[in-house]
Amino acid sequence: MTAARIAVSLRRSFHHSRLAQIALIAALWLVGEAVVRVSGAPLPGAVVGLGLTLLLLATGRLSLFSLRRGANWLIAEMLLFFVPLVVAVVDHHELLGLLGLKILVVILGGTAAVIGMTAFTVELCCRLGARHGHAA
Amino acid sequence: MDMRLEASLGQALLWSAATIGFYLVAKALYRRWRLWWLTPLAVTPALVVGAVLALHVSYADYIGGAGWLAVLLGPVTVAFAAPIYEQRGLIRRHWPVLAAGMAAGSATAFLTGWGLATLLGLDDELRLSLLPRSISTPFAMTVSGDIGGTPELTALFVMLTGVLGAALGDLMLNHLPIRSALARGALFGVAAHGAGTARAHEIGREEGSIAGLVMVLVGLMNVLAAPLAAMLLR
Repeated sequence: MTAARIAVSLRRSFHHSRLAQIALIAALWLVGEAVVRVSGAPLPGAVVGLGLTLLLLATGRLSLFSLRRGANWLIAEMLLFFVPLVVAVVDHHELLGLLGLKILVVILGGTAAVIGMTAFTVELCCRLGARHGHAA
Repeated sequence: MDMRLEASLGQALLWSAATIGFYLVAKALYRRWRLWWLTPLAVTPALVVGAVLALHVSYADYIGGAGWLAVLLGPVTVAFAAPIYEQRGLIRRHWPVLAAGMAAGSATAFLTGWGLATLLGLDDELRLSLLPRSISTPFAMTVSGDIGGTPELTALFVMLTGVLGAALGDLMLNHLPIRSALARGALFGVAAHGAGTARAHEIGREEGSIAGLVMVLVGLMNVLAAPLAAMLLR
């Protein structure tokens, strides 16, 4: 009785603690890294951790409420974590000038093509599906 | 020896605090003005780079101090399990359409990146680093390493693609006859990852959640396809 009550209140506080959830997510990531290290699978450990987490969620061993707060925080602040990598530009003086301009052209042209291609493919599939009577 | 340890600890504290501080400043600036070129995605690195250059610090010293922040990209990847699982109904209903859009978009990203870079005479390192520019950073850096690019350069190109893609997607939506929320969301998720997703959320709730979901799935799809692409490129 009391043990059950303690378990319930523990779970409730876990569902409210962002920090504990971030620690849980980090632990799942480390498990993924360990699996890759031991098995030598040609996948990043983080992706294995992601797959493992999805598996735990789908089989009901892990509740979405046990990681949602932490996950939302990590994703919302993701940008901060990759700033240190972008600063690598200081080691690439060659990117200032004509070469940088060329790269900008590749990115602008390529991205415009990706936007157009993705939008038209999905739109076309939706309209075809609608015409065949499926809910698109 | 002790003094050197203290100095490097000081550096770590300084550069971590500076990075986090500039990030908070950039977020506040964007909240105040909401101009596309003021996105924290561009402003934060610009401020940090400015400080690093002004103080004549080498990148090695900077990353030695603030590099631990980048390690958190691992847990971020795992965190994507939550939105994927929350959107499982959407995936079940629309997976063929989403898969077609993601495959078409990713193939276009690779082909146009390769084609334009070759046309402009960029060397192999830049060309390979440019290929995974459209997907979210943790995935893009993995793909970049797999196919023989330089992950740090890719991180920079991913940032540029995000800023420009979010603005470009907005502009193109005004002129293209795209009506379904599925397509309007997917184009941001496939072309401009997190920055595009943020923009899609401003357009509509449905577009935003589709963009977020597609961003994660297309990243995963690329990571799983990267070993294959690497074989083709060699």
